[in-house]
Amino acid sequence: MKNFQTLKFLDWFRRIFESFGIDYPVMRKILAVKLTMDGRRTPTIFNQQAKKKKKPEENGFIKSLGMYVLLSLFLIPIVIFGQNYLYQMSILFGIVMFLVMTSMISDFSNVLLDIKDKGILQTKPVGRKTISAAKTVHISIYLFFLTAAIAGAPIVAGTFKYGILFLLLSLIGLILVNLFIVVLTAIIYFFILRFFDGEKLKDIINYVQIGLSVSIAVGYQILARAFSFVDMKITFSPSWWQFIIPPIWFGAPFELFLGSHSNGYLVIFSLLALVVPVFAIVVYNRMMPSFERNLQKLTNNSGESKRKERRWKQWLTGVICQSNEEKVLFRFSDNMMRNEREFRLKVYPALGLSLVFPFIFMFNEIQMNSYAHLVSSKWYLGIYMSCLMIPNAVTMLKYSGKYKGAWIYKTAPIQSLAPLYSAALKVFIVNLFLPVYLILSIIFIGIFGIKVIPDLLVVFVTSVLYTVICSNYLKGTLPFSESFEDAQQSGGAKIMLALLLIAVFIGIHFAVTFIPFGVVIYFILLVVITIFAWKQAYKTIWNF
Amino acid sequence: MVIGEIVLCLRDLKKNYGTKEVLKGIDLTVHRGQIIGYIGPNGVGKSTTIKILLGLEGDFSGKVEIFGEEVTDKNIGYKRKIGYVPEIAELYDNLTAREYLTFVGELYGMDFQAADEKAHRLMKVFGLEEVYHSRIASYSKGMRQKVLIISSLLHNPDLLFLDEPLSGLDANSVMVFKEILAVLAAQGKTIFYSSHIMDVVEKISNRIILINDGKIVADGSFNELKAQNKEGTLEQIFNQLTGFNEYKALAEEFVAIVQEV
Repeated sequence: MKNFQTLKFLDWFRRIFESFGIDYPVMRKILAVKLTMDGRRTPTIFNQQAKKKKKPEENGFIKSLGMYVLLSLFLIPIVIFGQNYLYQMSILFGIVMFLVMTSMISDFSNVLLDIKDKGILQTKPVGRKTISAAKTVHISIYLFFLTAAIAGAPIVAGTFKYGILFLLLSLIGLILVNLFIVVLTAIIYFFILRFFDGEKLKDIINYVQIGLSVSIAVGYQILARAFSFVDMKITFSPSWWQFIIPPIWFGAPFELFLGSHSNGYLVIFSLLALVVPVFAIVVYNRMMPSFERNLQKLTNNSGESKRKERRWKQWLTGVICQSNEEKVLFRFSDNMMRNEREFRLKVYPALGLSLVFPFIFMFNEIQMNSYAHLVSSKWYLGIYMSCLMIPNAVTMLKYSGKYKGAWIYKTAPIQSLAPLYSAALKVFIVNLFLPVYLILSIIFIGIFGIKVIPDLLVVFVTSVLYTVICSNYLKGTLPFSESFEDAQQSGGAKIMLALLLIAVFIGIHFAVTFIPFGVVIYFILLVVITIFAWKQAYKTIWNF
Repeated sequence: MVIGEIVLCLRDLKKNYGTKEVLKGIDLTVHRGQIIGYIGPNGVGKSTTIKILLGLEGDFSGKVEIFGEEVTDKNIGYKRKIGYVPEIAELYDNLTAREYLTFVGELYGMDFQAADEKAHRLMKVFGLEEVYHSRIASYSKGMRQKVLIISSLLHNPDLLFLDEPLSGLDANSVMVFKEILAVLAAQGKTIFYSSHIMDVVEKISNRIILINDGKIVADGSFNELKAQNKEGTLEQIFNQLTGFNEYKALAEEFVAIVQEV
């Protein structure tokens, strides 16, 4: 185990910890173990040997901070330009709170919700105080880095402009915000666990993770453009409804101490910023024991799960699956994809992005020309952007968190495994692609009128064809049969090739719109090719 | 058998989970050098008892004493003399065996060097020397179990709590481990052994405690239990005392359903 810099820094405060009755050397050891584990990903038996290259252990979290630093550069103008402290600082704190909170839920949930600790540490001669201190310091270390990454650049810039008092207020404000967020997260978990079981909580965490990755990606796009819209001279007068918006509490002290005017509202806001986090800590301490008790729910799932039989899915299975085997495998793939959180985490953000991407391009067009110009143009082909997620999603089909269960394919008396591929791809199209496509289609028909319906149908058939082509990625591996650990984040050249193919499809489609009845003829041609391709894939790609 | 000093003492131990009463008054005194077989059906409070003894569960009523010290939240000193193998193989499996075992040793107050050397030698005896520097996540079930066993004994405890300690071990390792227990007990260690495998409990324990519905329903050596219940094996005594006699009917029903296809 290496000697962590962070812990060396912590050694300076040894006295303070000891004065609280904490066994510092033991706490330090626990932290060293925790940090070591954070730097590692769970290896599997197979790649323990294979991947024994000399790779220095890196903490994935620390690496991901770079993204936040980049984002924080966009925040500098918010702080520097403009004269209204309350408005500017509230926005800054709002963004910091959002990012820290979502990151807290997606990255530290395993720290807050750890139940292994109990069995391993509490059976040893280690005081409760020391254990909870270790837990607190562990979270604090990460929160420190995270907050520094997000708020560092804007605060430094602000200090240069507004002076040392600004720095002081910011530091106090950020500490209070972090306290507030940790407690708030814990309280939210507390209530979820109280009324639901652990599985529900894990689902909620999963969706927050997905939301975070989508909103960061979209946030880049929007923040970069936002400054042309925002009017920094906006007048911002305090009123009662702002009491329920926490970022405003934290923005208020800046207006109070640095700004020109002060009034009753600002004083109350500032007091709230101080009192609420402190009060929250007190409540949290009171709730801690029953929180720990509720944590046990994470392991045992007492809640009986209701199973909804979905008629339409049954009907659909009958329509699009030919053989009985395929039907069985369709149902199986459907369950796997819907239930597997890791799969959702890898694929759903891409779904969200493909919903947003077509519009980002159209906004550019609107800014340059006009809305009327857009409607009469051929920008509806932008819906092809939603196909960008297909190569990535299809590659992910072969992975599963519970990949070891794949032995079942081999032991089951199934003649050929080709239906497994076709079933998995059909589930992908029905469950993941179709919803995105339908939503986009409705919006596009709203924008461009019903005349684009034939074109949209062409896009759908093209996507099915495209999915079959992309299924080459699956070649040689069964769906759900490999560990996510083996997933290469960037498929590199292969994915690039697949994306180029989309451009080719757009080109052809664009060309046929100039021919009379071209779209209809193209549509019929595509259907024939797709059916043929699917049959071919049965024989060549999926059967080996 | 010579009766040694009292190691563990429970007086009217009760515990509720909400409205559900799990332990309904357990009285138990354990002397030094005993191997206690602690048995009972699923969900009657076996693991709860062990968790209370280890200080994992609070909120109980009654008195719990280990080595004459009362078990409370504040008192952690007694844990130094206890070793524990949990039922579910819970360990930080992102660590290597070396990192995990030295960490546990240090938590028990051992010196790093001493813990490292001792752990290494114990791993070697169990045939795990080569994987000492590999992460536990890559281990098989039996290997993990061996690491857990080593981690519970590293600090030479006087009292051992073993919850299904043989799970995943092969027959040879089971022989070795049973022998280890016998030798430890002969040297005056006390062992609290909880398991569902009756043949093993029957063979290794010199005192068997059967718990059912939150109460102790039988307490004594195997021979004493046999004399009281007129049944041949511990398994049969277990069935009789827990009021379970429909195993044949259930088995027949099961097979009948299997054959329906």
